[in-house]
Amino acid sequence: MLKTTVVVIGGGATGVGILRDLSMRGVDALLVERDDLGYWTSSRFHGLLHSGGRYAVKDKEAAKECIEENTILRKIGKQCVEATESIFVRAPEDSEEFEAEWVKSCKECGIYAVPMSMDEAFKLEPNLSRKLLSAYRCPGAAVDGFRLLWQTVASANKYGGKAKTYTEVIGIETVNGEVAGVHVRDRWTGEEYKIACDYVISATGSFAGNVAHLAGIDVNVKPSKGTLIAFNHRICNHVVHRLHPSSDADIFVPHGSITILGTSSIDSAPDDTSSETSEVLDMMNIGKVTFENLYDYRILRVFAGTRPLYSADPNAKGRSASRGFVALDHAHDGIKHFMSVCGGKFTTYRLMAEKVCDIVCEQLGVNTACRTAEENLVDGPSDDLMNRAKAVFPSYGAELAASRLGNEKLERVIKRIESRPETKELVCECENVTLAEIEEIASEPSSHTVSDLRRRTRLGMGTCQGTFCAYRSVGAVDKDDMPWAKDTVFLFKEFLETRWKGIRPVLWGNMLRDIELTRAIYDAALNLSGVDEIK
Amino acid sequence: MAINKHHAIDPDKCTACTICITACPVTAATRKFRGPKMTGPALTRLRKLVSDDDPMLDYCSNCKTCDLVCPSGVPISTLNMLAKNEYYKTHPRKSPADDMLAHSEKMGKLITSIPLASTFANLGMTIGKSVGMLGAMGISSNAKMPSYASESFISKFKKIKQTSYQRKVVFFSGCFINYNQPEVGVDMVKVYQKNKIEVAIDENFVCCGSPMVAGGYIDDARVNAAKNAKLLKAWVDKGYDIITACTSCGLMLKQEYQELFDFEGMSEYAEHMYDSVEYLAKLHDEGEFNTEFANDSTEYIYHAPCHLKVQAIGRPSMELLPLVPGIKIQEADAGCCGISGSYGFKADKNPIAMKVGAKLFGKIKDSHAELGVCECGTCRLQMENGSGVPAIHPLTVLRKAYGL
Ligand SMILES: Cc1cc2nc3c(=O)[nH]c(=O)nc-3n(C[C@H](O)[C@H](O)[C@H](O)COP(=O)(O)OP(=O)(O)OC[C@H]3O[C@@H](n4cnc5c(N)ncnc54)[C@H](O)[C@@H]3O)c2cc1C
Repeated sequence: MLKTTVVVIGGGATGVGILRDLSMRGVDALLVERDDLGYWTSSRFHGLLHSGGRYAVKDKEAAKECIEENTILRKIGKQCVEATESIFVRAPEDSEEFEAEWVKSCKECGIYAVPMSMDEAFKLEPNLSRKLLSAYRCPGAAVDGFRLLWQTVASANKYGGKAKTYTEVIGIETVNGEVAGVHVRDRWTGEEYKIACDYVISATGSFAGNVAHLAGIDVNVKPSKGTLIAFNHRICNHVVHRLHPSSDADIFVPHGSITILGTSSIDSAPDDTSSETSEVLDMMNIGKVTFENLYDYRILRVFAGTRPLYSADPNAKGRSASRGFVALDHAHDGIKHFMSVCGGKFTTYRLMAEKVCDIVCEQLGVNTACRTAEENLVDGPSDDLMNRAKAVFPSYGAELAASRLGNEKLERVIKRIESRPETKELVCECENVTLAEIEEIASEPSSHTVSDLRRRTRLGMGTCQGTFCAYRSVGAVDKDDMPWAKDTVFLFKEFLETRWKGIRPVLWGNMLRDIELTRAIYDAALNLSGVDEIK
Repeated sequence: MAINKHHAIDPDKCTACTICITACPVTAATRKFRGPKMTGPALTRLRKLVSDDDPMLDYCSNCKTCDLVCPSGVPISTLNMLAKNEYYKTHPRKSPADDMLAHSEKMGKLITSIPLASTFANLGMTIGKSVGMLGAMGISSNAKMPSYASESFISKFKKIKQTSYQRKVVFFSGCFINYNQPEVGVDMVKVYQKNKIEVAIDENFVCCGSPMVAGGYIDDARVNAAKNAKLLKAWVDKGYDIITACTSCGLMLKQEYQELFDFEGMSEYAEHMYDSVEYLAKLHDEGEFNTEFANDSTEYIYHAPCHLKVQAIGRPSMELLPLVPGIKIQEADAGCCGISGSYGFKADKNPIAMKVGAKLFGKIKDSHAELGVCECGTCRLQMENGSGVPAIHPLTVLRKAYGL
């Protein structure tokens, strides 16, 4: 039987942060995730590494946490963070008094906010609306969710921490009011087994209520859904915020090759990731204030995630470990060594983990101090390795692959191309993903679908949204040594359906033309829908 | 840099359909070039994110076949050119020939301003070729370099006595006609006079900038565009139409300026711009084209330059030349000749240019035609070089048919 000291449930930012922290303190830990890492909120988010500016006026504690963690993550997570800086801009409809208060608050929180002339702002961001009135530079940045999660797990791996994906917790076993283990089901084989442990931490975000229920406990999470719009290219090179009290659709984040506009906030079920066209249009109309030609830019897709908001249930004997998130020790509910963690922000994932692990370690009698702020998640590639990469990758590929893969995998991919040069061909032309990279990720035990490859490589996340890379990638993985890739029709459908889900609410203009081409290839030419002849 | 929407450049329109790659003559010749879609819209997105060595940028010859076939109206080649120009701001140039080939006007001015210089320059080309000088400069010893004329077109123009007519045009001769083949300009004036058109020139016009953009010197081209755009607008305001007899100059002034730059008046004058033969074909449509031709029994083969095709004005030469009694003229219909302005002169690109043009050369040879016909000067050189058959401008055919 599998045995560990702590089982962490949930492979979102919160869970992987806890896994790494425990592992670095020498605590034996195993993370189990029902889907793929980052399948839920930790990728269905805005990708903003907050500077704290957004919270400076209303919540100084949160703002200070953000700027501290922002500074740490830019250092330890170099490969996941694009240190773009952010620009806060005030539009004619935004209050001037708020601007003054905001400037003061940023100063109090230690967030630099450097005023600049509008001419300077337009030079930095030529697409900004000429109606804007004032602009400040702040230390915001973009952060890649998938990358941060995988690299955090890679860091935990170095200390013995392990993560199992597609492993769903279906039961929590207690003996005499104390946790004894969890029951899990393998989502691919259906196999059920037990993992014995001394402690269970549920870091299941919006699903924290469901998981606590497995032990008969209530956790009052009220998921709140937010929609995000991804545009085909970088409209801006800095994060751009509206300088006003936080509200919907007031932030643009340049994220890799795309730009993301968000977001909204609607009470929802934990697994509701749908978006309506009307939401998109509302957001576009607000976004237009910042970039007046917004409707000219091509929307690639929309996506939505749910914020795991904890509702302060007056009956819950919670303990607020930090602003914005709760760590609920269920000893108060009659089960020892079971904790639920929810709320918070992606930006503060490391800090949340530190606070949670301080409590857990104390209970486990471990008194090693947290070191997660001191060590990089993964090592950056050496000059030597980058030179080898540049020699084999197509233009623009080396740097992108290096930040996606981290050192070790980069070297393995380079070796693949060195020994079989034809694998440097691009499977995904829009995002510059080589065959070698696809083969490398596909051969890992955590890969079960083309979408899994997508989350690791950005395959299919660019302009054509899978039209050309779907058949290439399925062709690339349909091999004898890839046991998961036998059912190619399933692979196609799974991948394309997830792509289409995000496109349906924005089916107009160029995206509509693009999707008709996709339909022509997959529905008409390949008959993927499997239309039978009338008998 | 984010992509500026105030420009007519729109990578967002690309649906990645790949038609441009299928049609690209360079991709067909070498797989070292991943094709227009990749260097254009696809990588434009990534260039905003990372910078890297990008040898592919040099492979695009700017023939613009991609723009022609794109069903989404993406100015693919212009995206390529913009990227290339941006690239050379931070990367060293590979070919020492770039500067000379991009600034042909400078060379032309220098050579024609010194008496007898053209003789020496042309001799120099020949000698240079034989001692491998050109090779050292990065110029192919295989390509036929244009020779320089002893007298520029502008100087010749001033000696022509014209009859004044109500219909007036201003002729933008461009560098190739002015310095290399001034007789084509003279042909133009003579043929136009025969059609009751008065031709003006403007000594303040400068190189259209097309070779500068293709060579990665967009800042120089911008300076020229600003000058030319202002002058052209003024001529149009005076009631003149604008004529070019070089299809690359025509395309640049009429269309590429608007894709690349943002000067006032460009779209207004562009409406009054015509290729020299297109203009005559327009007269023909209006019943005013002079068809008093003498017999011409020469066999010709016509090649349509890429930069004419992309202007979407049809094949005016194939409308007018067959009107000459006795003439035998067929269209080669064999795609790009490969030279693409200065592309095929570069040592490392010449083999590609020759491979691209191979189909055309074969067609010309098999046709047993006595003369090739083409509007574009460098295409004509490439046709001669590849097939051994001399090539002339359609206006030259018309001038002869008028017995001038
Ligand atoms: C629209 C939106 C925009 C946002 N933007 C930002 C931003 O720009 N910056 C920022 O800092 N924060 C942002 N946030 C907040 C941030 O995304 C979340 O706080 C954070 O991602 C939550 O991570 P998590 O690990 O707690 O939850 P999740 O990422 O949802 O992870 C929980 C995991 O638990 C798993 N799980 C559930 N049940 C089980 C089970 N039974 N067995 C095994 N596993 C299970 C799920 O599959 C899931 O993967 C945003 C949130 C939203 C909704």
